[in-house]
Amino acid sequence: MNFERLGRYKYRLPCEGRMEVDAAFYASEKILSDLATEDYASLRQLQNVATLPGIVEPALTMPDIHWGYGFPIGGVAAFDPERGGVVSPGGIGFDINCGVRLLTSGIEREELERHKSRLADTLYEKIPSGMGKGRKDFSLSREDIAEVLVEGAAPLVEKGYGYAEDLEHIESGGRLAGADPGAISERAYERGLPQLGTLGSGNHFLEVQYVDEIYDEEATGAYGLSEGSITVLIHSGSRGLGHQVCQEYVERFLQAAPGYGIELVDRQLAAAPIESEEGREYLGAMSAAANFAFANRQLITHFTREAFASAGFGSGEERLDLLYDLAHNNAKFEEHGGRRVLVHRKGATRAFGPGEEELPEGFRPVGQPVLVPGDMGRYSFVLAGTEGAMTETFGSSAHGAGRKMSRRRARKAAKGRDLVREMEDRGILVRAAGRATVDEEMPEAYKDAADVIEATHGAGIGRKVARLRPLIVVKG
Amino acid sequence: MIEMLDHTADVGFELRTSTLEGLFDEARLALLMVVFERPPDEGGEDRVVRLSAPDRETLLVRWLNELAYLIQDSGFVPVGARIWIQETGEKGYALEARLTGAPLLLEEYGWQGEIKSATFHGLDVKREGEGWRARVILDV
Repeated sequence: MNFERLGRYKYRLPCEGRMEVDAAFYASEKILSDLATEDYASLRQLQNVATLPGIVEPALTMPDIHWGYGFPIGGVAAFDPERGGVVSPGGIGFDINCGVRLLTSGIEREELERHKSRLADTLYEKIPSGMGKGRKDFSLSREDIAEVLVEGAAPLVEKGYGYAEDLEHIESGGRLAGADPGAISERAYERGLPQLGTLGSGNHFLEVQYVDEIYDEEATGAYGLSEGSITVLIHSGSRGLGHQVCQEYVERFLQAAPGYGIELVDRQLAAAPIESEEGREYLGAMSAAANFAFANRQLITHFTREAFASAGFGSGEERLDLLYDLAHNNAKFEEHGGRRVLVHRKGATRAFGPGEEELPEGFRPVGQPVLVPGDMGRYSFVLAGTEGAMTETFGSSAHGAGRKMSRRRARKAAKGRDLVREMEDRGILVRAAGRATVDEEMPEAYKDAADVIEATHGAGIGRKVARLRPLIVVKG
Repeated sequence: MIEMLDHTADVGFELRTSTLEGLFDEARLALLMVVFERPPDEGGEDRVVRLSAPDRETLLVRWLNELAYLIQDSGFVPVGARIWIQETGEKGYALEARLTGAPLLLEEYGWQGEIKSATFHGLDVKREGEGWRARVILDV
């Protein structure tokens, strides 16, 4: 693999073969050695992304890079609609607008410990995974879903499933404009209807955590985080509705691509010009699915607040406030370098720096919160968006620790072990629908999030703010 | 023959059989092995699935996605299948499958987690000697 070191944490993949532009990636020595052990499969995927028409230099990956399908996980690519730039549904992923949100509170760790077991059970009972038994006391109509597809999280807040101030603490106000429910198939509706307010399986989760270490007093002040206080991190996406939208448009784009002279080096990169009938329709459908995902996390938040209230928390200082909700699988029109581009983020977080107008006023002096979940046994991090991210990575940063072990290898490694018990011994209560998910998601299956944070902070594309440690983990 | 593949983030399998229909049936079995620890092998319900696609790879992706939809969204676990595949000239391929199914029982079958989709990444369905071979990555 031909790459050149540009800085302590930054590397360049020069334009070669069918690449249209240079690519760049961020890695520590440790991450670089992980890339070598997978024979640079994810860097080859990054080179493939750089072959797409109208891409703006450079094609990028964040420090949590790992092997995906089509785009590498951690991939960021901006396309210029005025230069024939494309949109690629596979470059956004099946779980459209999958993301994380962090709730903060004034509850102290010691206080929560007294109610931990009851709270863990209540959270597991109130937040459905989306398979098997759902909530019998709650349902939405098709009309409700249609409204959510256009308006995102707001209609749920109006119905009482949230606080009015939640909305300004969601990326894009919890609504992507231009959503077209007409571009959503009947099957996507059918799959979405029973799944709004469900967590999903795989790497989706809800964690109750505490703030373990503070690195940046100014930012934690702006974000309302204090050492020892309780937070809740929620990771979920657009469920079957988003998966269906992506499936249908990948197939459609595969048929359309040759007509636009697009030669694909990987069929999962199927693409069409942004300014084409297919491109516009997909962006309308993708925005609708994104709005479903914002609403999904909003409803899970409501269920979480219900669970905390049942456990005796929930008013005054104990209230769960939304710090920020941000997506890591989408495409958005943004201004970068003086031009309007469509930024694809596939397992990468938007990370706007200080002064950006789209941010809530309280975040503008320090940059937006960037949430980087780790694994269920160690820690997650809160970072702040930086100027460096605005100039180098189209305002993007890392989105997680990144897997280092396949799910199959993780299950083998977990054989004969009781991971739920092991976690309990470490002070972490796990509630999960099945043992397989816990085994696959074992801490050792992930890279140490601290390595990702070292490279992200060191490269200046995110600033370390606080570390969060888990107390309760709910898995679908 | 079904061989599970190691993929860092997702799940994959490689299939080898003597007929194209057999390959699609192995794909069904491999999918059951991915989503269940103890897949059921008996069922009393019947369903018919008809699909068409411009090429064999797209047909395999549609087949796997249809089966995942039946399991995850309709609660129908396809424990058996009789499959017919025909070339349809310029229009590609058509598949008809008569499925036997069992109701979805998550705990009994050892539910392993949802499938988001079959992907086109590294996908190929090709003749190999006298038989057929395919390689599929699923997003989970």
